[in-house]
Amino acid sequence: MSYSTFNKNQINPLNEPMFFGNSVNVARYDQQKHSIFEKLIEKQISFFWRPEEVDVSRDRVDFQGLTDSEKHIFISNLKYQTLLDSVQGRSPNIALLPIVSIPELETWIETWSFFETIHSRSYTHILRNLFTDPSDVFEDIVINKEIQKRAEDISRYYDDLIFFTQLWQTHGEGDIEVHGEVHHVSMRELKKKLFLCINSVNALEAIRFYVSFACTFAFAERDLMEGNSKIIRLIARDENLHLVSTQNILNLWQYGKDDPEMKEIAEELRDEALAIFMKAVEQEKEWAHYLFRHGSMIGLNEEILCQYVEYIANMRMEAIGFDAPFKQRSNPLPWMNKYLVSDNVQVAPQEAEISSYLVGQIDSAVSASDLGDFEL
Amino acid sequence: MSKTFKVRVNGQHELTVDPSDGSLLEAMERAGIETRYHCRDGFCGACRTQVKSGDIDYINEPLAIVRPGDCLACCCVPASDLEIDH
Repeated sequence: MSYSTFNKNQINPLNEPMFFGNSVNVARYDQQKHSIFEKLIEKQISFFWRPEEVDVSRDRVDFQGLTDSEKHIFISNLKYQTLLDSVQGRSPNIALLPIVSIPELETWIETWSFFETIHSRSYTHILRNLFTDPSDVFEDIVINKEIQKRAEDISRYYDDLIFFTQLWQTHGEGDIEVHGEVHHVSMRELKKKLFLCINSVNALEAIRFYVSFACTFAFAERDLMEGNSKIIRLIARDENLHLVSTQNILNLWQYGKDDPEMKEIAEELRDEALAIFMKAVEQEKEWAHYLFRHGSMIGLNEEILCQYVEYIANMRMEAIGFDAPFKQRSNPLPWMNKYLVSDNVQVAPQEAEISSYLVGQIDSAVSASDLGDFEL
Repeated sequence: MSKTFKVRVNGQHELTVDPSDGSLLEAMERAGIETRYHCRDGFCGACRTQVKSGDIDYINEPLAIVRPGDCLACCCVPASDLEIDH
């Protein structure tokens, strides 16, 4: 089952499942098994941006004026986001590309990961502006225990899938001994690992970013750290798209619209998938606790942030077929929405609150009904 | 004047909605109903709304996953009288 970079067999990608079918050969997009991924690629590319386009120079002055507890909140969030995007900038490629079987999904995965690397580059852009030498901040990411705890949970499902895929690609199915440990490799087992991995990534994209987003936008509400906020808006818009892709993959499996075996696995591992999501929710609440351990910031505290995590979690869980587990049905941070509206990213550049001028952007203000009077 | 539809929201609000007047989400906002949304562009899914009865039309094709029985309020309009849970 070794991987070939160009599968020489004649295959029809329209009959392939998303994963674990024949590996992709021709990168063609004129026809799609699941057109959603082609649309996501188009949308994501239309969102293209560069961190350097956003002026963050005023943030340095603002940062000096923050209290120590606010500095802790700001920098800790940047560290956590750097961790998340470090993982996301490589893992979808390494874990999913070797097993993907349709060209539109293969290219979506590459596009998705590429944008995560833009996010990582923007954290460097922000930190380089705040500190003459940001090394301490970056170095703490692999030492800080709170971040370590999250890194472990975020990477383990990826690592597990990658390791088993490597065994399968070199040895095929069967019991394989590595360093004295026997691993049972079967297609069913691989697909289970894939299912859990996508659930873990989905939880990451769905909620793990939102505690930091809320803090960032809370600073912006006070006209502080606005350069950073402009960048985070762009990142939030991208992350929403990434989330759509994992939600689509999970739903295609659940509704039996792709690999029928994945439908069985989705039912079999439903409780485990739920546990992955609930653990991510718990970890985000713990993160809020860690952020505010030296004190709150104006407009935000641990309690209200935890309510926001529950509010977001309810929405995200319903999207993948779970019941909303939390009572929090109304938005405890209504001002968050204005930073998450896609169109707000494209207003006049001279206004302080605005994220960026238009770069290859699609004007989504035109709706199909605007063209209703046209006749051919 | 184009045709209007009756939209019942969460079993308690009765709206008269003109589909040419913007999305279902905007109609709910005009009526002062607390709404959920993020992108307002059909790709984040935050405005997911349950359609209990009636039909909707999409004015822009949604990218976010729409499960059976749901709609995305930010990019759809009523196509008949509606009963929805938002």
